[in-house]
Amino acid sequence: MPVTVLIPGPLRSFADGKSHIVIERSPTTLADALEVLWKRCPGIRDRVVTEQGQIREHINVFVGNEDVRYTGGLQTPLLDGVEISIIPAISGG
Amino acid sequence: MGVVYRAHDQVLQRDVALKFFAETLGPDARQFLLREARAASALSHPNICTVHEVGEADGEFYIVMELIEGKPMSVSIGSGGLPYESVMRYGAQIAGALTHAHGRNIVHRDLKSSNVIVTPEGLVKVLDFGLARRLAAAQDEVTRAIDTLESVVTTGGTLSYMSPEVLRGEPGDYRSDLWALGVVLYEALAGQVPFHGRTTFEVSSAILHDPPPPLPARIPPGLAAIIQRCLAKEPALRYQRASEVQAALEAIQSASAAPKPPNDQRGSLTTVHRGIKHLQVKNGDVLLLVGTMKGVFLLRSSAQRARWDIAGPYFHGQATYALAYDSRQGRHRLWASTFSMLWGAFLRSSDEYGRTWTNPQEAPIRFPVDSGATLTNIWQICLGRPEEPNVIYCGVEPAALYKSHDDGETWSLVRGLFDHPHRPRWMPGLGGLALHTILLDPQNPERMYVAISAGGVYATEDGGGTWQARNRGIRVVHMPEKYPEFGQCVHKIVMHPSRPERLFLQNHWGLYRSDNHGESWQDIAHGVPSDYGFAMVAHPHSPDCVYILPIESDEFRCTPEGCLRVYRTRNAGESWEPLTRGLPKKGAYETVLRDAMTTDSLDPVGIYFGTRSGQLYGSADEGRTWKRILDGLPPIVCVKSAVVGERRVTRAPRGTKQTVSRRRSSPREKSKIRRKR
Repeated sequence: MPVTVLIPGPLRSFADGKSHIVIERSPTTLADALEVLWKRCPGIRDRVVTEQGQIREHINVFVGNEDVRYTGGLQTPLLDGVEISIIPAISGG
Repeated sequence: MGVVYRAHDQVLQRDVALKFFAETLGPDARQFLLREARAASALSHPNICTVHEVGEADGEFYIVMELIEGKPMSVSIGSGGLPYESVMRYGAQIAGALTHAHGRNIVHRDLKSSNVIVTPEGLVKVLDFGLARRLAAAQDEVTRAIDTLESVVTTGGTLSYMSPEVLRGEPGDYRSDLWALGVVLYEALAGQVPFHGRTTFEVSSAILHDPPPPLPARIPPGLAAIIQRCLAKEPALRYQRASEVQAALEAIQSASAAPKPPNDQRGSLTTVHRGIKHLQVKNGDVLLLVGTMKGVFLLRSSAQRARWDIAGPYFHGQATYALAYDSRQGRHRLWASTFSMLWGAFLRSSDEYGRTWTNPQEAPIRFPVDSGATLTNIWQICLGRPEEPNVIYCGVEPAALYKSHDDGETWSLVRGLFDHPHRPRWMPGLGGLALHTILLDPQNPERMYVAISAGGVYATEDGGGTWQARNRGIRVVHMPEKYPEFGQCVHKIVMHPSRPERLFLQNHWGLYRSDNHGESWQDIAHGVPSDYGFAMVAHPHSPDCVYILPIESDEFRCTPEGCLRVYRTRNAGESWEPLTRGLPKKGAYETVLRDAMTTDSLDPVGIYFGTRSGQLYGSADEGRTWKRILDGLPPIVCVKSAVVGERRVTRAPRGTKQTVSRRRSSPREKSKIRRKR
């Protein structure tokens, strides 16, 4: 089953304007799904993760309704059909 | 060059490679090889084949080396060449091996594809450092060694890898190895060496005179540019350090890690700013580039600088700490760094005065994975000298220097500074640990300075290979030792291009001048209300004239007594005079940050500064009178100016007679200098 990644507004210019990207290849972990996303939309990668491969401090990634910081980070397992959301934090100044 | 056996070391119970050299070597050559192989046995690097032992047995010279299971690159390279991704990877490793050896004064002198072994795991091992030449050797020994070596090497069939200078009979140095590296990389990509011919004469002639034939179109331009630079006929035009080649190869490796979408080969999208008014710009106009915490504003005026058109904000909601206008070679290019707490830091450019900006898909400035560092922000954009029109430097946080040789397409970390032993002990100031200032000596292409908060001033005299702390005489308040070698929280340094030996410095407490390239500093805080401050700019025409904007203290980072005053010296810091006409004299508790003041290049000079409260002030008469140009901007972090269509020209100083300030500082003013020490 494919999973879907929801793309936040500021990053849609790197996804041909799409609000979501469907990843068909049944990835088993978040890292697998993101690797596919980076290949499809390379402009998103460096805005979501650092050059060291860590999710940026003020970006939250959810698998379903769970923040992946509490579910195993990039190794969070994916269930079939799940939605992955990339959501900027409410930090700011 | 000899015979190699697989052997077994019975004492240490390991397989080794045992190389015997031909008996025909004369006693001089044997002595030479013995000495050099001993030197090379001191090398220990994952990409260098380790030499365990050297010696002579029954008059035969031998080397015991690490046994490597793998194939020489010369064998792996088919007629079509290797995939460029592999070449980048191997190239970075070979450059890493050379960096290590060169750092120990050992030049390889015989680098070629058959001397590079690639293991099944993709690890590169460079062989035969045993033929290297110690640079430190005495001159007569060197000469003799070269004579011997030439005969050894030429009969070894490595003419194709020889640099022009070695062919001309010059001794050659580290840069001859970089030439050979260029030949190896070219060969690995194209399937054949760049310079060939039927006879020794034809090959030599091609090396000396012909440009390398173009590489296949599938090769990324960044990689081709690196090889091209290694193959510059003049050593001075090549990379000057193996570490630079390594960094450049690492940079394009990481840049090519993610494939580009097929519809955009440049890897950059374009952001079009609609719905905002853009500038109409013509030659001779004055531009102000204003970076704020929430976006960039662009202003334009005629040369009278009386009225300003305003455009923006560009990069809605993102902070811009660094801006530059590049007019080299007839360009009209704006550069901006954008910083978002959410999405990270990117470098952008516009050739249309802000109508469109590049929006790189991948962050072009990124720390190598092995550094463990993550780019936080880009604090400074510094254009290369006029004679290097494609060079750009960036100073970043965490403190590091990046250099681009190709107009910002690819960037490499300046390893000489990043690997400096002081770096782990630099400490962040309130704004973060940033390399915020870069000064290039216009008269000496090998010399440049950087300022780091809080690390201090560092200088290089060899084009970035090595760096020395230059902080003698600069006092610190945040450490028990008051005059440490490094660790100073320097806020700004400036230089007048006509006197590059002299630098002025605004410290976290303290105003200083150096008359000897930063070797030592003297206090010049005579007659200023506070020697704390951030901004400092040099007058573009008069080398004795510098402007500052004093701030009360590090605790109360506002203008003293709520009075907004620019101070100027016209005698290189002997005295300072306030410039206040048109500026608020009370109730103005302002802060002007380190890059928020600038001058234009007209005569009379225009001076501009922006405050954290979002006010932009300007003077079109060298600071005699001021006007508020704008109010109500977001906090201003950066102000730069440019005259459109003009290269920023530095005029000869106006006469040699020094104008001493008419208004000498009074004793009362002197007593008011706050020294929180």
